[in-house]
Amino acid sequence: MKIAYSQLPAKPDAVFPNRQSVGRPIAPLLLEKHGKMLSVLAIVDSGADICLFPASFAAALGISIPNPLAYVFSGTTNHPQIAYFDKIKVTILDLLDSQQSISFDLNAGFCDTLEHVGLGLLGQEGFFSRFDVCFHQTESYFEIKGA
Amino acid sequence: MTPLDLTTVLKDAPIGEWIALSNGRERIVATAKTLEAAIAAAKELGEKNPVVLKVPPVSALVL
Repeated sequence: MKIAYSQLPAKPDAVFPNRQSVGRPIAPLLLEKHGKMLSVLAIVDSGADICLFPASFAAALGISIPNPLAYVFSGTTNHPQIAYFDKIKVTILDLLDSQQSISFDLNAGFCDTLEHVGLGLLGQEGFFSRFDVCFHQTESYFEIKGA
Repeated sequence: MTPLDLTTVLKDAPIGEWIALSNGRERIVATAKTLEAAIAAAKELGEKNPVVLKVPPVSALVL
């Protein structure tokens, strides 16, 4: 499956004075749990150890958090963050050809610290561990190959 | 491949609020302070399966 990079708005600053947008490898996802469905976007992030989503997504899927499956992690600072895990079904949507969409079960984390971002992260455990991913940044797409 | 340009769609989106896009991500259907409210507003406007996201603040561009 090939997915085009997404261009998101950005403002120029002292470091990037000509920047008007930022390109990111973002995958459209359908999350499912308890018969509830939620269409979201997630950044394909090889630097993330796990797959994470904003805590609000858990509520929308009928997942009660906090729960006993707590995982402590840190990001670019050393402040500990907590994600609460549950198993969900994820479908990576191919918007051009729905037959190419890929579904899989994922042990996903939900955390308050992604609330301000409003996007998920597809990281190593559960995503890169399952699929071969190739980034073609100069051609503005990335490719996900099923396991 | 042509990148998916969300800059126009999200240009005037309120930073920090939940945004419900049309399923094809062509337009904003609704915005709200909470995810639940954004989804409810979008469904009330006829968008059965909105795509939800936020426009993060500039400081969150690098994750």
